[in-house]
Order: sequence, then structure tokens, then C-alpha cells
Amino acid sequence: MQWETSERGPFRKEKASELGGSIRTGSGNAFDRKNRLLFYNRLFKIACVASAVFVCLILFGILFLMFRTGALTFRDVSPVTFFFSSDWAPESDSYGAFVFIFGTLALTLLTLAISVPLSVVIAVFLSEVAPAWLRNLLRPVLDLLVGIPSVVYGFLGLTILIPLLRDITGTNMGDGLLAAAIVLTIMVLPTISRVSDDAICFVPRKYRDASYALGATRFQTIFKVTIPAARSGILYGVILGMARAIGETMAVVMVIGNTPQLADSLFKPTSVLTSNIVMQIANVPFDSTWNNALYLMGFLLLVISLLMIVAVRWLQRKGAAR
Amino acid sequence: MKWFKSLSVAALSIALVATSVSAAGAASSLKGKIVINGSSALLPLTLQASNEFKKLHPKVKISASAAGSITGPQSVRKGIADIGAVDWDASQDVPGFKKFEGQVAHQVAVIPFAAVANSNVKVDGLSTKQLQDIFSGKVTNWKDVGGDDADIIVVNRAFGSGTRVNFQMKALQGTEFLSKGSNYKEVKSSGDMKTAVETTPNAIGYIDLVYVTNKMKALKINNVAPTEANVINGTYKVWGYGYYMTKGKPDGATKAFIEYVQSAKFQNGSLKKLKFIPISAMK
Amino acid sequence: MKTAVRQSRSPFRSHSGTNVFYNRLFTAFVWGVSGCIVLFILALLFLILEKGLPSLTWDFIVGLPSEIEEGGGIGPALFNSFYLLLISLLIAVPLGMAAGIYLAEFAPDNKWIGFVRICVEGLASVPSIIFGLFGIVLFVETFQIGLTILGGAISLAFLNLPVMTRVTEESIRAVPAELKQASFALGATHLQTIRKALVPAAVNGLVTGICLIAGRAFGESAVIILTAGVTTSGVMWDFNVMSPGETLAVHLWYVQSEAIVPDAVSISDKAAAVLVFVILAFNFLFRIPLWIRDRKNR
Repeated sequence: MQWETSERGPFRKEKASELGGSIRTGSGNAFDRKNRLLFYNRLFKIACVASAVFVCLILFGILFLMFRTGALTFRDVSPVTFFFSSDWAPESDSYGAFVFIFGTLALTLLTLAISVPLSVVIAVFLSEVAPAWLRNLLRPVLDLLVGIPSVVYGFLGLTILIPLLRDITGTNMGDGLLAAAIVLTIMVLPTISRVSDDAICFVPRKYRDASYALGATRFQTIFKVTIPAARSGILYGVILGMARAIGETMAVVMVIGNTPQLADSLFKPTSVLTSNIVMQIANVPFDSTWNNALYLMGFLLLVISLLMIVAVRWLQRKGAAR
Repeated sequence: MKWFKSLSVAALSIALVATSVSAAGAASSLKGKIVINGSSALLPLTLQASNEFKKLHPKVKISASAAGSITGPQSVRKGIADIGAVDWDASQDVPGFKKFEGQVAHQVAVIPFAAVANSNVKVDGLSTKQLQDIFSGKVTNWKDVGGDDADIIVVNRAFGSGTRVNFQMKALQGTEFLSKGSNYKEVKSSGDMKTAVETTPNAIGYIDLVYVTNKMKALKINNVAPTEANVINGTYKVWGYGYYMTKGKPDGATKAFIEYVQSAKFQNGSLKKLKFIPISAMK
Repeated sequence: MKTAVRQSRSPFRSHSGTNVFYNRLFTAFVWGVSGCIVLFILALLFLILEKGLPSLTWDFIVGLPSEIEEGGGIGPALFNSFYLLLISLLIAVPLGMAAGIYLAEFAPDNKWIGFVRICVEGLASVPSIIFGLFGIVLFVETFQIGLTILGGAISLAFLNLPVMTRVTEESIRAVPAELKQASFALGATHLQTIRKALVPAAVNGLVTGICLIAGRAFGESAVIILTAGVTTSGVMWDFNVMSPGETLAVHLWYVQSEAIVPDAVSISDKAAAVLVFVILAFNFLFRIPLWIRDRKNR
């Protein structure tokens, strides 16, 4: 075997495409080792490119199919009715999805209102206040929690939380926004707190040292220096949590009551986009307006979550530029 | 990486071999696959029948699920199911639902329905007028119908339910249900209704007799208790026929299954034990 | 990060009583709230396991579900869970790794590739129910095969593909450049380098990724309900990919809401305990070898 020396000198830094280029010049027997290796390399590269293209295709496929089915709704229902009417009675041909849009938004905001302060407190605890042994114990526990299936949380909500809420507040049924928000908080807490924890740890030590050098207490340092410095990381965690809360289906279905009425109280059975889709998708004939309306609601969810990714990217760019 | 690769290859080949083996092995007697979908009121009947049928014909695979009567004929139309269980004759037009073209209806049982309440409710029976007022939202407190001073929680079935159709026609004489309210809840299937009424104090709902347990109370309607005897002698009027819908005339395993369900042995045996009523009893 | 300066003897220590008071109050508050939350979460986990695990019997785990009487088991559902997990991993892991390797190694650094990256990340955050709807359109309407294990597994694979891609890309990027250059210096081709140097070095992150998507595939229910149905074919060890595939997570939901059998509550409790237990076992099984390897290399 011959070693080909590079004419460009031994110490020059090579580009990715140049590395491994010593086998690129083909010569000799068609099946000798060099050509075989060349073939495998090319094949592998093509396989990788194909996989990446496939992943993109899936996204476009989903967008296209959902949009195509969903847009058919507008043949029979005007956009204004769909988005702003709160009368959802498909059997009498009225498709006002405002109930679900409002439900999703209200539930997400409520969940964030409860979970963000708690998560930030836990993140501060993990990164600043806890002793090292406790920290190393709790971090894996929180990571484990992310993996627990959502049906289990829904099941716990149904069997423990709702009777509890019924007893504590004396309402007639415990279902509704509050029960769903509490269940979602428990699901979203580990995500937000771990990401915020990482963000807080990333704050350069010199910020903290400077603050202490000025005579600040730990509380003042955390509150006025560390948390503002970790702001974009915490925001990233909040958006991740928000994405999970918006898209959560099974846990919400079990505790929210699934009745298409507007939630003007925390304890009224209501419905959100995800729970309604799951409950009604089996009942609908495929080429009916009802089915198209459900797909349009799914498309709405898709658009919202994609917008959030774009928002995160924009935030990260802004944070990096600072 | 290597062990992972060889493990995955081994697993894939095992799966392939097993699939081909199971597909090739079905050579004798009746074989086939039956998928049944639809009414949750008929589900216990379907499940019991399929258990017994499978013992007679072990090569037939039956899977049954329920999401409300309307999904039965719809699944048959979509091709997802072979039999659609439904609480009304879906080959005819019924108030609220158009008929399903091309599907054949097979009568399989008589289903009695009952109004049920949570066991903490003190009322034993209601008149038709009281039922109408409660389910349309005019009466909202149990004390107006002879019970304690507590809000009535109305649990309704979602649109598409055969139980709902039958209850509305026979017990409420066609009165519209209420559709919103802070003491109102809709559930998807008979099982959900059972859970809701059992666990929510002061709740009232309706369900077929098969699902009634001793954790809830079946209410008398117009002083007639909801029992099979009262349905047969005609004093209790809240009942309906259960149907199996198929696309065109059934054949093979599907036909054998429907014939089994309609056979006298099943009708007078397990069907009665489940608290349904044989079709023959209603002549 | 520990406090950098001890507060009691520094000449710059705050003399103002209020600040010290607020500091102590804050510390107490953080300890208190975190303690409550952590205890609450641990109590939840404990509750699930305690309600279900002690009454588990082997009959329950491999037994057939009884439809109307008591004493049903979760055998076919549990089997389906593992079977679906296996098939979806078989699809998602190779494809995801290949795509991730492409993004980390072969892709030039231009706007198109940036766009591809955004696509991958966007797909990773789409709600799972959308994949269920996509699966319905694909398998029930277009291919007309109805509700099957195959449809469910492929939809699950689509769900997990972007996460695997992203994890692979990040793990391979994190491998030090010297390793790669040393491999090239020895005359290896690109494929050989990736196979024998980069991937083994990145295996830590890769295994975490696989563990993550395995957990997700095992516990996912919305996608399965929509694409594989809520029933099983009723027999154990059914390898036919065209039969309906209810998994344990779906079974839990179904038993909880349908509740025809008298002991539905106990079945739900036990099923939930089994689910949580298997997920915890996954995590331990995957993390412990890595942890041992880390300690050895330290």
C-alpha cells in the first residue's frame, strides 16, 4: 500500500471534505480495498443525506396534510365563526372553536402562573442553596420525573386530586381548569427547573464575586444579579414547559371534564384543543366538516408550537449577541 | 455498537419468522379476523359472545371496542371494522342521524335503559315530567323533586351515543337536553357514565341496565322499577333494540359470529345472565 | 456555585439588619418551598408504586385481560408495549443517527442546513397528538390498513426521530476534534472514523438519547390510541404486525374510563405501578453501566 503525502505540507489544517481524501483518487482493481472503502463511504454519505432529507420531509408532510384537511373546513364554515364563536355543536352544524382556543390559552397561562415561580425557586435551590450531596441526589430524580408517562399523571389527578379538590373547595365536581393546571404543573416543573438550573449555573462566577465584593447578601445577589443574568436561559426553560403544556393530551383529558363549554370558572368542566381532538376523532366520518374542523384545530396546535421554536431561536440569538 | 446491531438483526428475524409461522398455521376449521366497534351499551354482550365464540373456533381473532353507537356504522363504512354495534337501526333514518347506505342490520338483543343517580341521592323514583325538567335544566336542585337541598349534577352522554338517543326518545319523550352549565358534564361512553355517577355525589345520568352496579341507584320512572320483567310485560318503556351492522351481507367468520349471537343458546343463556333481554321475549 | 465569600468576617459585610434578615428569610423560604415540592414529588412516586406493586402477581402480568369478570391481566397490552417499542426503536435509531451524523459531519455550514436544523427542532416539539392525526391520514385513509401495530410503531418512530437526530448531532459535536484528526492521521476513511472513533466516544450521549426516546415510546398513549387502537388481538405473544395494538399506557386509560369490570380500580392501580416501575428500571439499566464506565475512566 502506498502512503500519499500531501503536497500542501504536513501541518495545514484540512477541511472536513478534504480529510480522508487520500483514498479518493481511484486506481487499480475494481474490488480492491481502496475502491471498496470509497464505495462504502459514498454509500454511507448518501444514506445520511437521505435520512436528513427524510426528517425534513416528515415535517413538510405533516404540515401539508394537516393544512389540506383543515382548510377544507373553510368551505362550510367562515373563519370568523370558527375562531370566534363559542358554540360548538357539530350535530347542528355549528363549529365555533373559540371554546377550545380559549381553554388552551387559559390552561397554559394558569399552568405557567403556578409553575414558573415554583420552578425558579427549585432551580435556585439546586444551583445556589443546596449542599452538593443533595444536589447530586435531586438532579437525577427530577430527570426521572420527565420520563413518567402522562397517563399516570392523569390517573393520579383523577383518583387523588379531583376528590381532594372537591372536598377542599366544596364545589360539586372537581373537574376543570384548576385540576388540569395542577396536573400540568407537576408535569412541567422538572423541565423548567432543570433548564433554569443549568442556566443559573452558567452565569460566570465573576458576576457573583463582584456582587459579594460590593457587600451584597446571598439573597440580593441571587435576586438582582444571578437571575437577571440567567434570564434568557430561564426563558428558554419556560418556553419548553409551555410547549409541553400546550401539547399535553392524555393527562388533561382525564381531569378537565370534556364538555364543550366556555370556562368561566376554575371548576367548570371544559375542553381544550388537544382533549377535544382525542375525544371526538373516532366519532367522525372522514370526509365531513366535523373531521376537517378537528384537523384544523390540530393544525392550529402545530402552528403554535412551531412559532414557539422560532421565538426560542430568536431569543437565543438575542442572548448570544448581548 | 456491534452488539446492538446483532441484537436488532436477531430480533427482526425472530419477528419475521414468528409472523410467517402464525400466518401459515391457520389451516383447519373456521378462521378469520373480526373487528367490532360501536355501542358501549352492547359492549359487554359483544365481549361475552366473543369469548364463547373463540372457545368454539380458536382460529378466529376477535377484537372489540366501543366509543359510542355512531362509531359502529362509521367504522364499518371506513373499513376499520367488520361489525358495527349500534343502538338503533342504522340502515334507516333516525332523528338526528342519516341512514348508512349499503349496510345490513341484524337484531341481536333488547337493551333496557335506566336513569341512575349517585347512591347519596335520597330520591327513589321520578316522573317523566321531573326527568324532563332535570335533564333540560329547568329543575336544578334535588329538593324540588323530593331530595336534599343540593345541586343536581347532570351527566350526559356525548352526541353519537345510542343510549342518549334511546333515553331521549323513550324517557324524555323527545325533550332537548341542556348543553351547558357549571353542573353539567358530558362523557364519552357507558363506562365513563358509570364512573362519573358512581363517584360524583348528587349526580344523575342514564345508562343501560347491564352497567348498573350496587354503587349507584337505578331510579324508578313513573313508579315502575327498571327490571327485565317490567320490560317484557310492557310496563317499563325505556328500552331499545341493539343491532349489528355489516357492510352488505356478512360471510365467513363474521356471519358465523352474528349467527351465534342470535342463536337461542346464547340468547337464553349468557345474554340473559348479563341482564339483556332476548329478542324472542318481546313478541 | 458556593458563596464566594464568607459573610461573617469580611470587612465589607453588610451591617444593615434588614438585609441580613431578608437573607435569612429568603434562605428559609427557598429551603421550605423546595423541600415541600421535592417531598411532594417523591410522595407521588411512592404512592403510585405502593398502591400497585405489592398486589402484583405473575398472573396479572402475563394474564389475558378479562372483559367482564374480575381478575383480568395486562399480558397482551404489556407485550404490545414492548413490541411497539422495539419496532419503533429499530426504525428511529438508525435513521435518527444517520441524520444526526449527517448534520454533524457532512453538512456544510450554510443557510439551507440552518433551515434543516430548525425543521428538526421544530418537529421535535410538535405535540404528540399531531403525529396521531398524521398517522390516521397516512395509515387509515391513504393506505387503508386500519388500526395496526405497524401503523402505531411507525407513527411512534416519526415522533422520536427528531429527538434522536438532535441528540446524535450534539453528542458527535461534543467529541474533541483531536480524536477525529488523530483517526484521519492514521489513514482511516471518513466512515471508519465515524464508526470506530466518533460513535464510541459519543456513546454516553447517544445512550441517554436512546433512553429518552425509549421512555417516551413506552409511555406514549395519544398516538397509539389514534393509530393502533384500544384493543389487542386477545392472545399473548401475537407477533402479527397487522393486529390492533393496545399498549399498557392505553390500557390504563381505557380501563380507567370504561370500567366495565368490577375491579377496574385495582387493575388501573396495578397497571400504573407497572408502567412507572418499567420506566424507572429502563433509566437505571441504562445509566448504571455508564456510571460505572465513568468511574472507571475517572
